[in-house]
Amino acid sequence: MDISEAPAVNSRRRGNPVSRILSSIRDGNGFDILLVAAPLVFLVLLAGLPLIYNVLMSFQQVDMFTLGAWIRPFAGFDNYISVISQPEFPLVVRNTIIFVVGSMAGQFVLGFALALFFAQNFPGAATIRGLFLVSWVMPGLVVGAIWSWILAGDFGVLNAILRSLGLIEAAIFWKSDPNFSIWAVTIANIWLGLAFNMLLLSVGLAAIPKELYEAAALDGANAWKRFLTITLPMMRPTIGAVLSLGLIGTLQQFDLFPAITEGGPANSSTVAQYWAWQMSFTLYDFARGATISVMMFVLVLFASILYVRSTRSEVRG
Amino acid sequence: MSNVQIELTGVDKHYGQFHALKDINLSIEKGTFVALVGPSGCGKSTLLRSLAGLETITGGTMKIAGEVMNDVPPRKRDVAMVFQSYALYPHMRVAENLTYSLRLKGTPKEQALAAAEEVARTTGLSHLLGRFPRELSGGQRQRVAMGRAIIRHPKAFLFDEPLSNLDAALRVHMRKEIRALHDRLGATSVYVTHDQVEAMTMADRVVVMRDGVIEQEGAPLELYDKPASRFVAGFIGSPAMNFVPAMISEDGQAVLLDLPDAPRLPIGRALEPGRRVSAGLRPEHLTVTNAETAALRLPVGVVESTGSMTYISSGTDPEITVVIHGRSPLSAGEVMGLTIAPENVHLFDVESERVI
Repeated sequence: MDISEAPAVNSRRRGNPVSRILSSIRDGNGFDILLVAAPLVFLVLLAGLPLIYNVLMSFQQVDMFTLGAWIRPFAGFDNYISVISQPEFPLVVRNTIIFVVGSMAGQFVLGFALALFFAQNFPGAATIRGLFLVSWVMPGLVVGAIWSWILAGDFGVLNAILRSLGLIEAAIFWKSDPNFSIWAVTIANIWLGLAFNMLLLSVGLAAIPKELYEAAALDGANAWKRFLTITLPMMRPTIGAVLSLGLIGTLQQFDLFPAITEGGPANSSTVAQYWAWQMSFTLYDFARGATISVMMFVLVLFASILYVRSTRSEVRG
Repeated sequence: MSNVQIELTGVDKHYGQFHALKDINLSIEKGTFVALVGPSGCGKSTLLRSLAGLETITGGTMKIAGEVMNDVPPRKRDVAMVFQSYALYPHMRVAENLTYSLRLKGTPKEQALAAAEEVARTTGLSHLLGRFPRELSGGQRQRVAMGRAIIRHPKAFLFDEPLSNLDAALRVHMRKEIRALHDRLGATSVYVTHDQVEAMTMADRVVVMRDGVIEQEGAPLELYDKPASRFVAGFIGSPAMNFVPAMISEDGQAVLLDLPDAPRLPIGRALEPGRRVSAGLRPEHLTVTNAETAALRLPVGVVESTGSMTYISSGTDPEITVVIHGRSPLSAGEVMGLTIAPENVHLFDVESERVI
């Protein structure tokens, strides 16, 4: 480089700070920083701050008089102890486990079965698969209302079908029988999440090269062995992602509860997220509502870590 | 017992309206290396996949080792295939890739591993058994794919353009390696390629296909010396044969080429005078001689030399290419004299394109 040129370049760089920033945004690092900063500001304002505020509240005494304040009397773990010692706590935990495990298992198994079914090349496969997305497009409250009719004890379609198949003798009161109420919401939620599971798993299946199955067939593997030794291991990252997203989605599911059972009867279908809402917005006990949310947040955080790890191995191939 | 390992009789394959294989008859003896060669879309891969059972044939019979295989699923055919993409199992290490078929059969672990080590030795993979396919180079992946086939001792090896993803130097090397392996195992191999040089150098028998039909089948040099059709003549040999429209002379003993001055080439036999034909002259069969006395005198268009060989193209239409060993003093614009032995003049019917 010509040495005599260097000072000139320097002085040009030093020039007007505003124009320097502008030119950096046009074609320098500034543009990259701008792109990262915009979503970061959004996340901090709309997700980060509420989250921190929620965690903060769970360690404070909150009543109607201190509702507007940031700084409130410190409560230590009192709120946590109080939540755990609530008489309905074991029931809510049990319901949450049934709802989460039942929904995830149902969504995953049925979703995988449907994904495998539509991966077979038959006329109309893609079209029919597309129609399944209807369940994903519909608002949870609408789905809840429809399932509420389907599950109705006296005039519901489900009872009519079960009875005509001879599977039950008397009508099951899905929504009002404490033995069935949590299952009523779980069934509706399985239907609601089915399309999402099927879609993600279909994408994973489509990414497996056809030749691997051909090679395996020539190596002597029958359909079941091909599924076990090729499909499942190749789908591992996808399955990890689907299950983690399923857990998060199920713990977030709220709409179905007010639409179908409202947590009843006698809390027999109350799950953690519905309980948290009840605490905060019907009993106005914001501290305990926040505490339940934080407990769930830890669970979701755990699932998110699993999800991130499984997608990372997807990139690595 | 007959020595035929693979026998196809009247094999047909339709994809809806498309007739992919038309009445294929082919028998392959045990221990031979057969190359299926032809331009893309000629049906060679379909034929190979039908042998593997990955495609079902719509007509005819297909026998492997004496058994009719028409409706037998791939896993029961006992044939091994090496895919163009290698189709290695990405989630398994090399050793697991090699032993996959054995593990499916329930071979004890130690026995399977011993077999994998044995195969790894013959294919030069011993130090790579613990690696995943993504950690291997193209040539190494190719070897794993071969090893996976060898370990099974199948009734036949099927190769689907296995070398087309390798660079030129490695391809030449692997060509020899595959052939050596075939000889050592005494295997029966069917090898699909679009590269006639691969087919000519590797195979005992070459099957040239076009539009779902076998154009000609024979030993490599037989196809070179006695092509049955204009298509085979043009496909086999590099650079490709020159074709010139021509007419049989009045005495029937020579052919008159449709070139300036209608050069006359003796053909060493008598044919119907005045018949329109297509004359095929291989570039390497033409020799440059004295331009004053030669029967075929052409202007020189382009002279290209690689050092050991010189390619001379005439400035005529159709263009005539000549290959000579060593160098040539000729340059563009001069006139060259060419001769060719009568037995090297191939004549093809204009309509049917079959040899005359």
